[in-house]
Amino acid sequence: MAGRRRTDELRDRVVLGEFGVRNVHTTDFPGNYPGYDDAWDQRRFEEAFRVDIVREEEGALEFDMVGIDAAIANAFRRILLAEVPTMAVEKVFVYNNTSIVQDEILAHRLGLIPIRADPRLFEYRNQGDEEGTEIDTLQFQLKIKCSRNPQAAKESSDPNELYFNHKVYSKHMTWVPLGNQTDLFPDADFRPVHDDILIALLRPGQEIDVLMHCVKGIGKDHAKFSPVATASYRLLPDITLLQPVEDEAAEMLQKCFSPGVIEIQNIKGKKVARVANARLDMFSREVFRHESLKNLVRLARVRNHYIFSVESTGILPPDVLVSEAIKILMGKCQRFLNELDSVPME
Amino acid sequence: HPDVEFCGYCITHPSESKINFRIQTRGALPAVEPFRKGLNDLMSVCQHVLNTFERSMKEYRAQRDEEMQ
Repeated sequence: MAGRRRTDELRDRVVLGEFGVRNVHTTDFPGNYPGYDDAWDQRRFEEAFRVDIVREEEGALEFDMVGIDAAIANAFRRILLAEVPTMAVEKVFVYNNTSIVQDEILAHRLGLIPIRADPRLFEYRNQGDEEGTEIDTLQFQLKIKCSRNPQAAKESSDPNELYFNHKVYSKHMTWVPLGNQTDLFPDADFRPVHDDILIALLRPGQEIDVLMHCVKGIGKDHAKFSPVATASYRLLPDITLLQPVEDEAAEMLQKCFSPGVIEIQNIKGKKVARVANARLDMFSREVFRHESLKNLVRLARVRNHYIFSVESTGILPPDVLVSEAIKILMGKCQRFLNELDSVPME
Repeated sequence: HPDVEFCGYCITHPSESKINFRIQTRGALPAVEPFRKGLNDLMSVCQHVLNTFERSMKEYRAQRDEEMQ
C-alpha cells in the first residue's frame, strides 16, 4: 500500500524539497512501472483531459489544462509567444522628419505599436517583393506639424498651451487603403490598438511625414510580431500537512504562505490549521526557514495540471490566440506527415 | 509506445534550424511506424484540445451571461 502510494507520488507530483526540486522528469513511459499500463491510449487521454476557464477579462485569460503532458503545454506556450502571426509596421518611408527623434529610432518605435488588424485576412509577403500588394500590406500615414499658438498667454510655460500638435500620438496614424482594399474590407477600421501611445515630441517648425507599410510576421522573426503581452503557465500547487498543526505553530504556518492558503479552524477550543486553497500560493518556501515547521508540510506541484495565463496586446482576443496556436501545432504535424509520405523510404 | 527502445533529439547547432531525431525500435518494427503514429496521435491530441477548449469557452461565456442577467 505504502509502496503504491510512493510510486503514485513519484508519478504525478513534483516535490519541492528544501534545497532543490525532485521528481522533475515525467517517468511514466511503458515498462517503467510494473502494474501500470502506460502505453498511449487516445481514449484514456480524452477521458482524463479537461479544460476549465477560470477568468476572462478584457484582454487576459486564465484557464486550466488538466491531463496533458509538459512538452505539449510548453509547445502551446512557445507557439503563443513566437509563432502566432500578427500585422506590424515593417517598412517606414520617411518623406520629412525634422523632429529630434532620429529616423531609425522613430521607425523602431512605430514598429512596436500593435495594429488592430486581423492577421488571418492577410497573406505573408513574398520574399524579395519590395512594393507590396493589397493582400499582404497595410499602409498607414503619419503627417503632423507642430506650430505655435498665437493666443497663448505671454508668461505661460505650459507646452500644452503654447504649441499645437507638440505630442505625436498613435491616434495620428491614419489608414491609407491600397488598391482595392476599400472593397475587400468595407467596414474594417484599421488603426493602432491604443490611441494614446506617445510616439514623439515636437516643437514649432518641426514636422514628421512618413508612410508606413505593415506586413504579416511571426514573433520568431521580430518580437514586435508577438501577439501576447505574455503567455505563461504554472503547475497547480499541492500542499499537504504531514501532521496536525496547532496553536502558535498554526499561526506561524499561516504567515508562511500567501494569504488565503492556510485557514485556521477552531476545533474544541484549539486552533488547527487546514489547507484552504492551495491554488493561491506563490511558493515562496518560507516554511523551510523555520526549523519547527520544516517537516510538517510537504510542498509539491501536480505534474499534469497547468494553470495558463494569456494576456493579449489587443490585436486578437486571448481565446482566439489559444485556438490559433493549437491550429498552428496541428498544421506543423500535418506538414511533417506529408513530407514523410512524399519522401520514399526504403 | 511499448515497442520503442530509444527516442531522442538533439540540435546540432543553435544557429541552424536543424534537428537530429532518433527513434530506435525493439524487434522488427520499422522505425518510421512509431514516428508516423506519434505525429498522428499528436494531431488527434491537438484536435481534441482545440475542441475541449472551445467548448469550455462557450460554456464559460454562457454561464457568465446567465449570471449577468
